Amino acid sequence: MVTWKSIQTSLKDPLKALEERNPSYYARYAGVEDEFGFDLETFAKWEPVFRFCYEEHFKVRVRGIENIPSDGAALLIGNHSGLLPLDGAMITMAMSNHHPAPRRVRYMVTDWFFTLPGISEWMMQTGQVRATLENARKLVDCGELVGIYPEGLRGVGKTFKERYRILDFHPGFVQLAIERQVPLIPVATVGGDEIFPNFVNIKTFAQMLKMPFFPVTPAFPWLPFPLMFIPLPVKWMINIHKPIKLDYPPEKARDKKLCLKIAREIQYDIQRDLNRLLKERKSVFTAWTEDENGRSETP
Amino acid sequence: MKAFATRHKQFIRNSHKSEDYFGFELRTLAKLEPGLKFLYEDWWKVEFKNLEAIPDEGPALIVGNSTGLVPWTALMLIYALMSRENPRRVHVVCDMDWIEDERVHHFLRELGFVPWSSDNVKRLLARGEIVATFPEGIASTQKTFSQRYRLGDFDWTRLLSAVEEGVKIIPLATLGLDEAVPVLFNADKIAKLLNMPAFPVTPFFPFYPFPVNLFSLPIQWKMSFLAPSQYKKESNRDKVEEQAKSQARYLEGEIQAEINRMLRTRSHMFAR
Repeated sequence: MVTWKSIQTSLKDPLKALEERNPSYYARYAGVEDEFGFDLETFAKWEPVFRFCYEEHFKVRVRGIENIPSDGAALLIGNHSGLLPLDGAMITMAMSNHHPAPRRVRYMVTDWFFTLPGISEWMMQTGQVRATLENARKLVDCGELVGIYPEGLRGVGKTFKERYRILDFHPGFVQLAIERQVPLIPVATVGGDEIFPNFVNIKTFAQMLKMPFFPVTPAFPWLPFPLMFIPLPVKWMINIHKPIKLDYPPEKARDKKLCLKIAREIQYDIQRDLNRLLKERKSVFTAWTEDENGRSETP
Repeated sequence: MKAFATRHKQFIRNSHKSEDYFGFELRTLAKLEPGLKFLYEDWWKVEFKNLEAIPDEGPALIVGNSTGLVPWTALMLIYALMSRENPRRVHVVCDMDWIEDERVHHFLRELGFVPWSSDNVKRLLARGEIVATFPEGIASTQKTFSQRYRLGDFDWTRLLSAVEEGVKIIPLATLGLDEAVPVLFNADKIAKLLNMPAFPVTPFFPFYPFPVNLFSLPIQWKMSFLAPSQYKKESNRDKVEEQAKSQARYLEGEIQAEINRMLRTRSHMFAR
């Protein structure tokens, strides 16, 4: 539960607040040097904001969090959504607050975000990494949980009519998984595509401002500064699948056809799960039940 | 009939060679043909891609997506394959057990629909016929407008007889029907009363008298055959079933991905 008071105390001494609230996470990452610039203090400072989104605003429910291993490397593969990529942040929150052994998730982020002054620092301090195969390899070798959205930037800029329709996956993540023999964990997220309903993408403006896209939503760019970034209180569901172990020798990583085929299969799995979840959902703003059995009780 | 005979000479010639066991009747199809032609060419303006993917000879299984109680997709498919260069007859395998009215049942069978069972599919494929199936089954009739172009789970048993024999499986993606006949909601209780799998309420159905309630919006349809799926023919029973399951998942994904791509390139609903 996030209260005004807890936000105040955490602003005063964020590290201490984090230590009290989430001792195992603190113990795991306090004082650990990180090559990619993860900074526990910045994380502790910003964590309440996202936790508020997670618990109060989006009322996120997670299924199958136990499928993520407590130790060792794994790749989280998800469907990307929602202009400001909050889906990654929500999974990070789920991992740090609702997992038996809290862990951080290292998301691979496109170059564009690192061209922004201020934001780029902040992205690195909260645990994001610039998306290159080199970096991903290093992270996996360190035994980190790496989050990849193989749709890339195109997935974020989806318009509202294309919500929950996955674009074709880039097969790079399969190559990495086979090469380093790490499991893949598909994650289907419902909710992200509706928090910022993006009606049109004005390409001319986007080119002028050197942005990947220039969305027009009910709030953006009409409302004054902070208001236009407030997401709609859509209720989220994150469904984490069972880990997939790929039984191929590392040499097979070069086999582009095989990688593409596996990438497609995982894409289809996530899409099927999204279709199923959307069928189950009553409305955009009704909160989800955690267990799937809840569905059978109500006809 | 005469006009039909001149227009579809080759089709009549070819269809005499193919199987009539399930009660196909050329006259009925000939009677319906002008209506189908109007829908295909003028009303929905179906744009059919890769129509030549269906071989001129030999068996093949077409797997597609469909919505609603009236099998419009199947009818359009029948018309498309009948009016192409090397016309072929297609046997549409679907659930017909719930249809209690004998006349409707017969009418559908005369058009080339076949009640679904593995044996029927096996028989047709063994004779080298083209079989079409919509493996979402009954669930597809219950889809509403909010679930448009989202496929339900594919029933793998429908692919079993084809996978057993190693027959070519060709996925068919159809864009258009879900918007042409917008289902506002599905009246479960009425459906139960009438012993129907679903009772879709559209802006026209059931409010208007008979021909008008089948009215649909002039959406441009896009249909396309995708690349036939590659799989190995297995002999072990367990392996065959495993294969059919993985094929069902794969085909569902392929069709859904193609529909997503088509939707992305289309500017708006009524775009031509």
